[in-house]
Amino acid sequence: MRSVQLQESISRALGELVGYADELRDLDQALGDGDLGITVSLGAKAVIEALEALSDDASPTEIARTCAKAFANANPSTMAALVAGGLLAGSRGWATLDDVSVADAGAFARLAGENIANRGKTQLGDKTILDAIMPAAEALEAAADASSGLDEAIGAARRAVEDTTPLQSRRGRASWLQERSIGLQDPGATAFLRFLESWRAANDASAPADTVTARS
Amino acid sequence: MKKIINDPDRFVDEMIEGILKAHPTLVKTPADDLRILVRADAPVAGHVGIVTGGGSGHLPLFKGYVGTGLCSGVAIGNVFSSPSSQQCFEAAKAVDGGAGVLFLYGNYGGDVFNFDLATDLAELEGIETRTVLGRDDVASQPKDRKADRRGVAGIIFAYKAAGAAAERGDDLDQVAAVAEDVIEHTATMGIGLSPTILPTTGHPSFELPDGEMEIGIGIHGEPGIHRGPLESADQIADRIITALVADLDLTSGSRVAVLVNGLGATPLEELYVLFRRVHTLLAERGITIAKSYVGEYATSLEMAGASISLLELNDERLALLEAPAKSPFFEE
Repeated sequence: MRSVQLQESISRALGELVGYADELRDLDQALGDGDLGITVSLGAKAVIEALEALSDDASPTEIARTCAKAFANANPSTMAALVAGGLLAGSRGWATLDDVSVADAGAFARLAGENIANRGKTQLGDKTILDAIMPAAEALEAAADASSGLDEAIGAARRAVEDTTPLQSRRGRASWLQERSIGLQDPGATAFLRFLESWRAANDASAPADTVTARS
Repeated sequence: MKKIINDPDRFVDEMIEGILKAHPTLVKTPADDLRILVRADAPVAGHVGIVTGGGSGHLPLFKGYVGTGLCSGVAIGNVFSSPSSQQCFEAAKAVDGGAGVLFLYGNYGGDVFNFDLATDLAELEGIETRTVLGRDDVASQPKDRKADRRGVAGIIFAYKAAGAAAERGDDLDQVAAVAEDVIEHTATMGIGLSPTILPTTGHPSFELPDGEMEIGIGIHGEPGIHRGPLESADQIADRIITALVADLDLTSGSRVAVLVNGLGATPLEELYVLFRRVHTLLAERGITIAKSYVGEYATSLEMAGASISLLELNDERLALLEAPAKSPFFEE
């Protein structure tokens, strides 16, 4: 996936993701402070705007950095800074790329996840966004093609959301609830799952190539 | 609880408003957010910026050391709470003169978390950063786990030296190296006699029975290494100096800077009684005091107690300590 196609795909996916803002807000109200819905919706809109202003031949790494900066500044919060730092880390892995494969997307997700783990002092099983990112990264890296890779990644992220729901939250505000967090679905992991689902819904692989690359 | 405050939730903001009004020629707030203070002439083109930060309740730490030849900016949290990552980043942005920014602050989980996120935000804006952590409290970890120690009063030596290095035009790596070198050669230990009362809760931060002291206490009232009956000033100085000299491997002929610091409610008189004994103990070991600081440099609201810090000196470190500096709470 090259510059314009990558920009368009991100924008379409984020346009779709905004529709999940209320769900994310509700999940975050139960476990955190309820600002994840607004972080995601304002962040997504800011990224879409920033990409519209970006040149059509921007490199993948520039695109990722543009997304990171826009997301960080849209609704400053710990989650926004963690995601922005993750995107920045991912962009470093794309420094020499001009065509992004599904394996490159997986490597990006892995670098992003590792940065989030490092910055957030968190590990797998703490019931955070990391639990969804890492298995999805693995699925993308191992995929035979983009479409099956995305399906596998969605499946992996969905299992992570389901498997961590019975666990106790160990990081962030959610950890203050201690055992009361058991049984509540993690908003961060859910947000990542919804992002992948949004990518699938907005960028259906069966769509004709000219609509995928057309610029509005 | 008896305190001179208004609304406890406005305590920190009202304190900052007071500092801005009292010292308008020295510090300013670059944005609408009162929780970011920078030196009045920031950003200084071509010079490295130094940003510190942490919770409130420690004046003159941290915000009192923003000025010329010291830190260039500070991100300010609530009492004993970290500032946000966005505030740490905004402070860096406000002081960046194009030569990069050093984050220099104490080693506490919340602060590390938020400043680390700020390094990513700074990189996205094209601002180069380095991080050096204050970790001078010898009571918080043994010497073989030095990197995990808390940062306490001794960080002011690093502010002073790194601030002087930035002022003379050192580049970012050099300023970071100066800060790291000073912290590596600094050791601090404190004793607490009474707790702090948090303005928002009105409750003491810990319980300490009458007639007892906590040795190795942290600046948020963290427990130390030993609790026992209150000792004389000389006995307290003996205990602390023995630990610090061993930690820094000081020997006859060493030169040091000494900081005897009050934790908030201990009178200056008592600090000088301590200093008197510190001087004798170091002289007995053949160690020369080349620079002395006695007073309140890093407090814990109204905690009674004191800390003693030693910085092992060489010519370079001494010259940096002696360079000019001026902030609302510090002048050289």
